[in-house]
Amino acid sequence: MTSVTSNQLDAAAAEAARGRPVRQRMSRDDLLMRIMLVLLTLWLVGTVLLPLGALLRKSVEGPAGEFVGLANFVQYFSNPALTASIANSIWIASISTVICVLLSFAFAYGLTRTCMPGRSVFKLVSQIPLLAPSLLPAISLVYLFGNQGIAKDVLLGASIYGPIGIVIGEVFWTFPHALIIMTTALATADARLYEAAAALKASNWRTFWTVTVPGARYGLISATFVVFTLVITDFGVPKVIGGQYNVLATDIYKQVIGQQNFRMGAVVGLLLLLPAVLSFAVDQYVQRRQSAALSARAVPYEPKPDRAIDTFAFIACGLIAAAVLIVIGMAFFASLATLWPYNLTPSLKNYDFDNMDGGGWQSFYNSLKMAGMTAVVGTALVFMGAYLVEKTKGFHTGRFIFQLLALLPLAVPGIVLGLGYIFFFNAPSNPASFIYGTMAILVLCTVAHFYSVAHLTAVTALKQLDQEIETVSASLRVPFFRTFLLVTLPVCLPAVLDIAMYLFVNALTTVSAVVFLYAPETTLASIAVLNMDDAGDVAPAAAMAMTIFFAATLVRVLYILLTRSVLGRTQAWRRR
Amino acid sequence: MNAPVTITQAEKPYLVIRSVTKRFGSFTALQDIDLDIHKGEFISFLGPSGCGKTTLLRAISGLDVQTTGSIHQDGRDISNLPVNERDFGIVFQSYALFPNLKIKDNVGYGLVSAGKSRKEIAERVSELLGMVGLADQADKYPAQLSGGQQQRISLARALALSPGLLLLDEPLSALDARVRARLRGEIRDLQRRLGITTVMVTHDQEEALTMSDRIVVMSKGRIEQIGTPDEVYGKPASPFVADFVGRMNFIEGKLVDAASADCRGAVLKLDSALTYAPGTPVTICLRPEDVVVRDTSGAANAFDVDVGVMEFMGNHFSTTLHVLGSNLNISADLSMNDVRDLGIKPGVRAKAVLPAERLRVFATAA
Repeated sequence: MTSVTSNQLDAAAAEAARGRPVRQRMSRDDLLMRIMLVLLTLWLVGTVLLPLGALLRKSVEGPAGEFVGLANFVQYFSNPALTASIANSIWIASISTVICVLLSFAFAYGLTRTCMPGRSVFKLVSQIPLLAPSLLPAISLVYLFGNQGIAKDVLLGASIYGPIGIVIGEVFWTFPHALIIMTTALATADARLYEAAAALKASNWRTFWTVTVPGARYGLISATFVVFTLVITDFGVPKVIGGQYNVLATDIYKQVIGQQNFRMGAVVGLLLLLPAVLSFAVDQYVQRRQSAALSARAVPYEPKPDRAIDTFAFIACGLIAAAVLIVIGMAFFASLATLWPYNLTPSLKNYDFDNMDGGGWQSFYNSLKMAGMTAVVGTALVFMGAYLVEKTKGFHTGRFIFQLLALLPLAVPGIVLGLGYIFFFNAPSNPASFIYGTMAILVLCTVAHFYSVAHLTAVTALKQLDQEIETVSASLRVPFFRTFLLVTLPVCLPAVLDIAMYLFVNALTTVSAVVFLYAPETTLASIAVLNMDDAGDVAPAAAMAMTIFFAATLVRVLYILLTRSVLGRTQAWRRR
Repeated sequence: MNAPVTITQAEKPYLVIRSVTKRFGSFTALQDIDLDIHKGEFISFLGPSGCGKTTLLRAISGLDVQTTGSIHQDGRDISNLPVNERDFGIVFQSYALFPNLKIKDNVGYGLVSAGKSRKEIAERVSELLGMVGLADQADKYPAQLSGGQQQRISLARALALSPGLLLLDEPLSALDARVRARLRGEIRDLQRRLGITTVMVTHDQEEALTMSDRIVVMSKGRIEQIGTPDEVYGKPASPFVADFVGRMNFIEGKLVDAASADCRGAVLKLDSALTYAPGTPVTICLRPEDVVVRDTSGAANAFDVDVGVMEFMGNHFSTTLHVLGSNLNISADLSMNDVRDLGIKPGVRAKAVLPAERLRVFATAA
């Protein structure tokens, strides 16, 4: 090269370069990351997309597997006994949504905008429903207001078995979900707007309606759709306390488990996808707006003590918290009673699961095992996927497809996903059909069911890291997995543990997705609750639900203690 | 090869950029860039946001390769190489330090993968830390250091593998004014000492003027001017450069003949040899600090002026001078000495010279 003239070099370079598009050679890192991302994409295709496809296919098939077009749908809509459930579901979901959003708004307002005492306790109590399957509040309501309920007279002769019971149970169960959204929406307020309103001599009432509510409007919209979807797709509460009142989610269960009519189950499942997909779309839209509405220059709002407002908030939040505690306490109390309502002497008779139907203590151990595996496998997959989709260079189409698939489970109700799994994995032509009836399919399904929220948590954590860290590593010629292990993973450890915890608790309490997939050797605790209640063993069902609750609580406490010590040691660099 | 002249290594440019174009969809971020950078040079890419300076740096580093065109570094075609097969160290505005690693591990990060022994690494790290004057901070975490210190560590890390090219992406923009001024000098000293070829992206003209051997002024994806700081400031190649670097009077006028122009009723003598026909509209540029108010007798372009409002700027006064008998107003920076000695006050009449050799003349774009 030393004998080349600069003119020659120039001429040669210019000629060769002009017009010819430059394609960057892929480094080994790039190639490896793309391959891994493709593998994870295939995994999501297999555990989310294909089962949904199988469900869709089933809905247009006849008894012999032949294509029948929309005949199944025609049959469904011509049966008034079935279509009545649509109206029922919408009615129940609407009422529950209105009540739940109002209550959660009031509660969130108390937590974020007042100086009422005991806010941290209230916050803790409000999270209790997350630690129990949705069956638990329903069982508790049976003891409170059922035929032998202790507060039966409060209903003035109306029956708890039906819409009243479903609505109360659903509000209890969805309350923490709505509360998380509302506290986030209310916590991010710009103090300057309030100062401006005060300077303009607006009354508190006017400020509330012109500043507070508009500021939280995206939270209100988001919470509305989330709660509506949760309620309309939940099957635990109506199953236990619905009585003769049919809703879509229980219809699927009855069609599939009761009548073995899989095609009709598929039709109802597709109907249930509609509100979930709609809610998903609205939520995506709202989240984009919400982040745009917050400017970096905003001054955070700090509530000031106000005796009247604080007292009022304390009473309101106190009533809500008391209701939560009563529901949990009732179930616990009933599970300890020797023979409700005649012999209330405390005993552990109802916890003697091995001498009852439902799988015994083994189902509880199965649940722990399943939740543990879901947490480990799920966290690894989710974090890897989020890392790859965020950090792979180029490959836009591949990353876009993965991102779509990662968010898709958010729009799929658990019971619909579970149904899809039957069709997909039970097909003899599927080479993976051997996992049908094993623990593996339960883990697979649960990971897929809760994938999206975990994925979003991971992506958020990764986005908080300096985006140039990978560039610097590459310029220092350090392979990506080294930086992943030495920097990215340790820095994101809190988020990783959060994801594991989220997956564990949800796997422990979930009923909907796994209800179609368990086998006699792999019964789960939450399924046992369902089956015992179905068999009339309500007290043991309450006992099993409480066992799940205690296990989830215990794990959460251990998690807090553990993360405190682990994070204390590994996150020293966060301190200044 | 049939080469007429064998050129030496020193004369051959270290970085040769030829016809580099970068398109994002229908938007052209870089248009046909040609640029030679010599070994040991400190080059700044200067321009407003969106001018393509960062895009060019990202093409050189391989973070975002050019759509077409070639880049040679040290005789090697690097146009399509992935980032980790190129030879550069990089410093970002955000420091991009590994937050969970101690300072010494940050600096030694690349050395470990390069397969150096523990002892070699420790020695090199302490050498680098000494070089940036932070030898005593080795065991701290990044968050425990100030912004300026963090940026020095990031510099030390970029230099650890002794790269042939140092890329600085707005390295000082996140720092406050005082630290920025000090770090400017430190980076420049270090660069001279190591003789490392350096490319810095900046939107801060002062930074570019004080640190660079040559400045590449860019606008709308094209190079407007390449020159030493002196050239870019004193002899801007286009009205854009004249406007972007420093403050400037833009005087609209019409050529009377090859050496004078009528500007709103005041006739200015020009020094530049112009080939435009009389009557051509021109833009005449004059730095406010080039207006002379002392010893004006006998000079060309001396005018009687009325002094307008005077703004006190600390080390000088900024004012507007109205040229009597015309519609011409000129911004002028007057030194404290001149103001004091000549008794210049708002509203007084004075003499001012617009020195012909300081006027830059451009044909006005139609």
